[in-house]
Amino acid sequence: MMALVRKDLRLELRTRETIVAMVLFAIVMLAILQFGFGTRDDDLTRFVGGLMWVTLAFTAVLGVGRSYVAEREQRVLDGLLVSPVPRTVMLGAKAIAIFLYMTAVEVVVIPLVGIFFVKGPYWDAIGWIAIAAVLANTCIALSGTLFSGLALFTRARDLIFPVLFLPALVPVVIAGAGATHAVAGGPHDMSEWRGYCLFLLAYAILFSLVCVATYDAVFDD
Amino acid sequence: MVTARGLVHAYGERRAVDGVDLGLVPGERVALAGPNGAGKSTLLRLLATLLRAQSGSLEVLGEQIPGGTRAARAGIGYLAHDPLVYLDLTARQNLELYGDLYGIADRDARIAELLDRVGLPGRAEDTVRTFSRGMAQRLALARMLLHRPRLLLLDEPHASLDARGAALLDDELGRAAADGRAAIIVTHEVERVARVADRLVVLRAGRVVLDEPTAGLDPMSVRRRYEEAAE
Amino acid sequence: MTPSSTTDGPARIPGQRAAVIWGTIATILVVASTIGVFLIAPEDADQGIIQRIFYFHVAIAIASLVAFAVACVAGILYLRTRSERWDDVGEASIRIGLLFSVLVVITGSIWAKASWGTWWVWSDPRLVTYLIVVLVYAAYFVLRSSAEDDRKMRYSAIYAIAGFASVPLSFYSVRVAESFVHPVVFTSSGANMPGTMLWWFVMSQVAMIALFIALLEVDLLGRRSERALRRLAMRLESA
Repeated sequence: MMALVRKDLRLELRTRETIVAMVLFAIVMLAILQFGFGTRDDDLTRFVGGLMWVTLAFTAVLGVGRSYVAEREQRVLDGLLVSPVPRTVMLGAKAIAIFLYMTAVEVVVIPLVGIFFVKGPYWDAIGWIAIAAVLANTCIALSGTLFSGLALFTRARDLIFPVLFLPALVPVVIAGAGATHAVAGGPHDMSEWRGYCLFLLAYAILFSLVCVATYDAVFDD
Repeated sequence: MVTARGLVHAYGERRAVDGVDLGLVPGERVALAGPNGAGKSTLLRLLATLLRAQSGSLEVLGEQIPGGTRAARAGIGYLAHDPLVYLDLTARQNLELYGDLYGIADRDARIAELLDRVGLPGRAEDTVRTFSRGMAQRLALARMLLHRPRLLLLDEPHASLDARGAALLDDELGRAAADGRAAIIVTHEVERVARVADRLVVLRAGRVVLDEPTAGLDPMSVRRRYEEAAE
Repeated sequence: MTPSSTTDGPARIPGQRAAVIWGTIATILVVASTIGVFLIAPEDADQGIIQRIFYFHVAIAIASLVAFAVACVAGILYLRTRSERWDDVGEASIRIGLLFSVLVVITGSIWAKASWGTWWVWSDPRLVTYLIVVLVYAAYFVLRSSAEDDRKMRYSAIYAIAGFASVPLSFYSVRVAESFVHPVVFTSSGANMPGTMLWWFVMSQVAMIALFIALLEVDLLGRRSERALRRLAMRLESA
């Protein structure tokens, strides 16, 4: 599995296509959202969860949608499929790569959002948000791998993928925004934060079961 | 090495492979020919476990498919139209990836040996994007042979290999027979393959219409036999 | 259910009788529960006549969940057996379930208008959840229409399984959010219903599930006939 992850990271390091685009996209998105409903309201702290997670959700759509781009454009997939690697391992490796990409984006986005919108002890809030983000990334990676695999050989896949992926992301956005909101406004509401994090954990567990049950069938023509 | 009975694969209502029986014993090299759309590539993909048959039974390298698919894959070497390598990785990185996927113990030594054989030792650290078509296909040859497969499945190998690659492949096929490995070579150029094949199988509209040994036949008679069957 | 009936000319299509029987049962139950709900069940003291929409709203909601559960199971069975039959069951169930979910959103919206004075309330977990559910299953048909043959069936089966996992997740995400915004505990509506109301509720629930089964049988019958027809046409062509 690590060989496949290493391959994805090597490709990314050489081409620098995905992560750079994701980070730029996230920053632009944040700015647009901020202007979209920010100008009349000086205090955007209560929207911080929404701003951040809507941005991250769309960034995930952008990044995850590209996760098989090398395999598809350079037509390498058959080479992987004909090897004795279980499909579950292949998709698991892809999920790890997506997790790492999302983390890379968040390393930039979360502190940035924090500077502008977070009240109270900065690093404290960032830390709690980061924990929620790790859980959310797991959810995004698991469901994203599944749906991008499904969309891979469809017509109009660039449209199909967000249509499949975004509804499944709604719960993640709700919980991520909630957890962020709970700790961003000064005094932390830790029980609220915990509730959302537990929900994200439940999402990750449920989707990992779905993935284990279905990954084998995604590429089995 | 391969036992197929009544193999069927349909795309919707159209049966690309329509009840194929095929057997292959160790050391045998089969040329698989037929007009365009006869189902050659589909049959090869079925044997390579890249497609699933809708009916019929298939045994590859002693493993029932599906069921023993993973074990069978470990012994299959598949050469497609596309080289199946990443353009933005170096030749060595590609081979390292495949070496790990197949769990090869002596990976680095094996890679060095194969790069040498396909004549790419000087280009090991260059990305495949900088390669010519023929070089990429020679790398594909190295990729296919890396894990010492016992069954070679080749999809029109001569169409994309350069002269050097083709000579290497013919040499490999010659050795395969002696080692008890088997090969199926999908081809348009029957007379070209006739030199290295022991048997000619002709497909038409998804069915086997000719299956006979080519021993003792010169390339032109093989060509004639093919044309009679394919008409 | 013998295969010969599909190949030997004008014989019955299998499942015809089941469709007729379930159709009859569903019709009787739906008519009976409609009469019961509007004429017999007692009027709610607070909400008046509009409360009667509750019987259909909740019953259809639960029936749609049953439909999605059936589709999920059909998906698992399809991946196991690769039999077209399970793909048919899965697609038909989701089609009906999606129709039901849209009805849930519409009836919920009417109810919201009547009791809260507005068509849509973003803080009502039931409405929002069903909106997500509608989106999830609408995507099923987008996926289906853009893939082919074997892939279409396989992808549909996988998506039906994943979709069914995201239903409870949507439910809970909305409720987790809700519980922090309004610290009100939602009691289940069944708990404090008077006896006759409960009885008619159960009745309409059974009616809706029977309706689902009847629609499913009819849909499957349609598919089987179509397939038999196509096979016949192909035979005529080749003859």
